[in-house]
Amino acid sequence: MVAGALVAVPTLVAVAGPLLAPLTTAQRGIAYWSGPGYPLGTDSLGRDVLGLVLRGGASVLLLAATASLVAYALGALVGLAAAGTRRRWLDELLMRPLDVLLAVPALLVLLLVASLTDRGVGMVVVVVAVVNTPAIARLIRAATLDAVRRPAAEAMLLQGEPRWRVYAVFVAREVARPLLADAGTRLTTAVYLVGAANFLGVGLPPGSADWAVLVDRNRAGLLLQPWAVLAPAILIVALTVGMNLLADDLTRRRR
Amino acid sequence: MLRYTLGRLGVGLAQLFVVATGVFVLTEALPGDAAVVAAGDVPDPARIAAIRHALGLDLPPWDRYVGWLGDLAAGDLGTSLVTGRPVADVLGQAIAPTAVLAGVTLAVLLPLSLLLGVLAALKEGGRLDRAISAVTVALHAVPEYALAVLLVAVFALWLGVLPATAVGGSLTETPVLLVLPVTVLAARSAASLVRLVRAGMVDALASEYVAHVRRHGLAPWRVVLRHALPNALVPAVQQLARTVDWLFGGIVVVEAVFAVPGLAAAIVDAVSGRDIPVVQAATVLVGAVVICVNLAADLAAHRLTPRAGVAR
Repeated sequence: MVAGALVAVPTLVAVAGPLLAPLTTAQRGIAYWSGPGYPLGTDSLGRDVLGLVLRGGASVLLLAATASLVAYALGALVGLAAAGTRRRWLDELLMRPLDVLLAVPALLVLLLVASLTDRGVGMVVVVVAVVNTPAIARLIRAATLDAVRRPAAEAMLLQGEPRWRVYAVFVAREVARPLLADAGTRLTTAVYLVGAANFLGVGLPPGSADWAVLVDRNRAGLLLQPWAVLAPAILIVALTVGMNLLADDLTRRRR
Repeated sequence: MLRYTLGRLGVGLAQLFVVATGVFVLTEALPGDAAVVAAGDVPDPARIAAIRHALGLDLPPWDRYVGWLGDLAAGDLGTSLVTGRPVADVLGQAIAPTAVLAGVTLAVLLPLSLLLGVLAALKEGGRLDRAISAVTVALHAVPEYALAVLLVAVFALWLGVLPATAVGGSLTETPVLLVLPVTVLAARSAASLVRLVRAGMVDALASEYVAHVRRHGLAPWRVVLRHALPNALVPAVQQLARTVDWLFGGIVVVEAVFAVPGLAAAIVDAVSGRDIPVVQAATVLVGAVVICVNLAADLAAHRLTPRAGVAR
């Protein structure tokens, strides 16, 4: 219940917010000011905080979701190839490099890439996806190997079903279960990393309406106009805490 | 034990080699010319040529690769493109505050997660257990920057009991500066540790050997601390090594929020200033720390698990 509400409020703000945002004051006011027309005050650039908060959730969810989807696509590709191959060296070649990626902190990989190439949202999404890939690839590889060795899969193969059909009909369903249980954790990790990148200024441009960017840009005014920082921060914390509780609930029920 | 240690050391060295190679390959493979990127707002051909020479980009890749590995092995981390100072100086100066932050966080994190994990396991299913579990699940992967500003607002702004940033103070001389940063850092890492200690303790307390020790009439605290806890520790020690990764990510954000002039702040500065040698060296350095911690954790886990020794 609590978990659902914690996720629902930020998600609703993120989805419906951009539609309601035009109703808020568009005119720029004085920086860090609170008064009539600005229910949550203004930010460091004198923009209406309520309007920014309503617009700022979409990018948080969209970027994290995109990064997760790419990570799942990459992870499925690598994991299935490693599990499906009969050549052990190919399995090793696919899985070993991923282990090394786990040795370097994800945020550091992000910073390293940001210093080497053009920064921006695309770079952040790609890096977050790649950093999340090893865990997914491992999970898919383990679950697939487990599933194809089940008697049901072997029976299908012995009956002369083609391999792709066994994978599509039986293995996919068996793999989906642990994958779904893990999805919440993956998504929170993506929200965390994308947010951290935006907070550190290597993702979205500094003027963007994004919750993490807003927290970073308005930190200096915390003493003057706390809502410019607190409103986006509370929404981010509510979203992640709610997602954690939901994911935990999901794992427990599937067990 | 010796054989395991040597084998594990070899794996660690190989990992370090691969990380150093990975950093080099990444620098090579990414689109965009590092020298042009480093020149930034002044894309003057002469400056680009100078940077290209400083980075050694005018040499063939193989020579550069061998040079990069050789310099690293000799402890030469290169020179900063921005200040012209040796990278070792830039990073060495920043290490102290980060080490204090990480050390104090670990010193708080370990006893706290052991205590909470053991308490939750002893009262399994009770109100305390459910409260601890709910809080630790909820705090898992909550972004530090958001958590930090919330805590600053409550404790510095409204209650006025703690300082908002570490500006102008020394972390070691005024420990009160550490309270909020360490709380934020420990909150996220403690979550997974507490859960693992709890799970390990629940298993251990339900096991045959603990029942056996109990039947011998040992004092309850002795059963818990001396017999159940060591077996619950193994997964926790390995998880602790994994949290170092998170801890580093947390330190990057926390140093930015609380204005601590540490290693992570130096890295973020270098990233925004396109100071590529500093970022490269820092990546290898942090990678080395993570590898060493994992090595130590694996050795500790091996030592703590007598079964593994017998099986060998």
